[in-house]
Amino acid sequence: MKKLAGLTVAAAILALIFAGCGSTAAPGDTAQNNKNEVIIGFTNIPSHFDPLQGFGADGHSGGQLIFSTLVETDADMNIVPDLAASYTVSDDALTYAFELRSDAKFTDGTPVLAGDVVFTYETLRTAATSVDLSLVESVEELGNSVTIKLSKPQSTFILTVAAVGIVPEHAYNSDFGLKPIGSGPFKLTQYDVDQQFILEANPDYYGHAPEINRFIFVKMSDEDTRLAAAKSGQVDITLTSAVLAAVNEIPGYHLLAEDSVDNMGIVMPVVPDEGIINQYGCAVGSNITSDINFRKALAYGLDREAICRDAVNGYATPAYTENDGMPWSNPDSAIEYDLAYAISLLEDSGWVDADGDGIREKNGIKASFPLLYFAGDSVRQAVAMAASQQAKEKLGIEIIVGGSPEDVIHDRMYAEPLILAWGSANPMTSYYLFHSSRAGLDDWYNPENYTSGIVDGYLEQAVNAKSIEEATPFFKKAQWDGSVGTSMRGDAPYIFLINKSHLYWVRDGLDTGKQKIHAHGDAWPLVSNLRDWKWTA
Amino acid sequence: MSRKIKSISIYLVRVVTLLIAVSVICFALVSLSPIDPMLAYIQANPGVSEENIARMEEFWGVNDPPAERYLKWGSALLHGDFGVSKIFRRPVIEIIGTRFAATLALMLAAWIFSGVFGFAIGCLMGMFNGRPLDSVVKRICLIMCSVPTFWIGLVFLIVFSVWLGWFPFGMSVPVGVAPENVTILQRLRHLILPALTLSFLSFANVALHTREKLVEVLHSDYVLFAKARGESNLSVLRRHGLRNILIPAVTMQFSSFSELFGGSVIAENIFSYPGLGAAASAAGLQSDIPLLLGITLFSVVFVFAGNAIANALYVLIDPRTTEGGK
Repeated sequence: MKKLAGLTVAAAILALIFAGCGSTAAPGDTAQNNKNEVIIGFTNIPSHFDPLQGFGADGHSGGQLIFSTLVETDADMNIVPDLAASYTVSDDALTYAFELRSDAKFTDGTPVLAGDVVFTYETLRTAATSVDLSLVESVEELGNSVTIKLSKPQSTFILTVAAVGIVPEHAYNSDFGLKPIGSGPFKLTQYDVDQQFILEANPDYYGHAPEINRFIFVKMSDEDTRLAAAKSGQVDITLTSAVLAAVNEIPGYHLLAEDSVDNMGIVMPVVPDEGIINQYGCAVGSNITSDINFRKALAYGLDREAICRDAVNGYATPAYTENDGMPWSNPDSAIEYDLAYAISLLEDSGWVDADGDGIREKNGIKASFPLLYFAGDSVRQAVAMAASQQAKEKLGIEIIVGGSPEDVIHDRMYAEPLILAWGSANPMTSYYLFHSSRAGLDDWYNPENYTSGIVDGYLEQAVNAKSIEEATPFFKKAQWDGSVGTSMRGDAPYIFLINKSHLYWVRDGLDTGKQKIHAHGDAWPLVSNLRDWKWTA
Repeated sequence: MSRKIKSISIYLVRVVTLLIAVSVICFALVSLSPIDPMLAYIQANPGVSEENIARMEEFWGVNDPPAERYLKWGSALLHGDFGVSKIFRRPVIEIIGTRFAATLALMLAAWIFSGVFGFAIGCLMGMFNGRPLDSVVKRICLIMCSVPTFWIGLVFLIVFSVWLGWFPFGMSVPVGVAPENVTILQRLRHLILPALTLSFLSFANVALHTREKLVEVLHSDYVLFAKARGESNLSVLRRHGLRNILIPAVTMQFSSFSELFGGSVIAENIFSYPGLGAAASAAGLQSDIPLLLGITLFSVVFVFAGNAIANALYVLIDPRTTEGGK
């Protein structure tokens, strides 16, 4: 009798759990045919939504979905008005005056005032976060306008402005990061820490209203989990990788490949090895890669299309600069694959294969070097292997590919070539990569010790310019001015190889609109134009 | 009575010294970590000026000598202040509090799965010692012992979530449902796959140890005598086996607290389950030192409690263990 009772209870519990399956499916577990909602299998669920603590700081991580910024960037990276109806910059490039629009409201119903802008900037200026407003000397309000004074000019400051979300002074408290109040196109209606967050269209938004009302971002940090979720139809769109994209096909879904500036290349020490030990106690320089003809031979002699095909199944485009496709990138930096030219560069420089072992040498030094990559990063490894194979077969250069942990590479990077990846929507990156003041620092930007007086001049002119538009010609000249530059036509400290495509499984019928060229990272750039997404079927 | 007080106070001294030792070692390891906490925080944020970095370094105190930082952190801890998490920008104690509930549910479910099924299957194998059933199940158990958690997690995901569609692919709540509308049954359903994955760690261990002990017991003289009296296999197990074979099972079960904690890091990441394990791995990767240390200390207390419970249970199961202690 007792046994029977136990069994009945167990059966009842099981029945209830499976009955639970049925009832959960109805409200949310499958989104099929709900045309006013999109479920996104996402990798980067924020740990908070507080712009004053750094949320959205890099300008492409979602701050603009919930918060207004004074200005924003459009799909072609032009600066366009947002909360500020217009703005002016003084001739000395130090004073920015923003005229605010008067119809903007926070989602708690209160109007967005100049005081809120001042509060936001003042708090960030003194806070210790990765939002860098250290250039800002003062922020003042005058009626409906805000004036920001800088201590020195920086043309890219307007991109920082485009990243700073405005928070309401009256509602800012210690819980703000969990329950943010903004004036952007969406409002955060639910946030389950580390699991999911939900954005719903803000009915009071002053700009053009989103086409789809509700977006559910679900955390899936594992790429196999994301694939499984798409295969079982539980998400409408989710991130994937070149490896999984090449071998999977999901009925009812298509593969979306977006161009990115997420580039990958080989950085090469440009100074010779003179036995110098730098301030970090590490060896500096290489007697092989300090030969500019050797570097250029690799730049011209590697077939980038083949590397895209071999390393990432074709889900990439050839890379020629650190920011291909951006308005401030110089299209003249692109080079043609030219094996004959590469070989003549090597031979003119004295690199010949005298002993017949297939590897060239010069003055008794073999054309052989190790190439470092971060152990565990399979894409970097594949790119390195593909480059190595080509270099040996076509150029007689031996590249010994070896994965190492980050801290080991950090000590060896001043003397040995390594695979690095860049990809930023901010041209300041070029300054950090190539200005001589940053050479040889341990922040990964310029381990090759590249310096050039001419390039320094262009970069300084670019930074001191009044606007991005005025800075653009100088950024372009820094890459290639017709005779020198940082690109592979010029001094070639970086051998850029591929721009990775960002890949997504998308349910048929979901249109993700025209996207900006994606910056580094494939999660947030995808959703930056969320208000243009729509269901077409 | 006084002996009890004495043994309890010895326990307390032990746990305190253990906590101090673990915190010193952890702090030293974190200080030696090659991850630069500032670079980890700034990440792909170009154009953070040196001035701003210096301000952040001062704010987080990363340039103070490690010993000084440890003392600062330790004295704050004594006042009940675990510090503020760098990632979540919330007090560490609040994060541990909310996440522990989720992790506890997960570990408890896994623990019961592995305890009950492991013990039952161990008994079964012991009783059928040497016969085909035993050798097949034993092999399965040995394979299960060697299977990595992340792999079995993915297999479960593919089979039960993608192919069969019985369970969700992760999280502790359904997609897009407001917290107040989530039912207990929905939570249970989200718990099952991660809990099964986690229980694989200790399940086979419990079964194999139980089997060994039962085989030993069944070959003893008193069992031979019981059989000679005409007792059936089941009654032998019930009257003479159970208590004797409980000891290894209980040891395995309670010492598996540490394995459960370790396994939860992996299981929670695969199933996007918001517990302490997921927080610990995030804290480690992003150099969130206060959170990492807080979780470590918390897990020390938890594992210590597990072992202490096992010790206490021995006395109940087998009174001889107290006699030996005299």
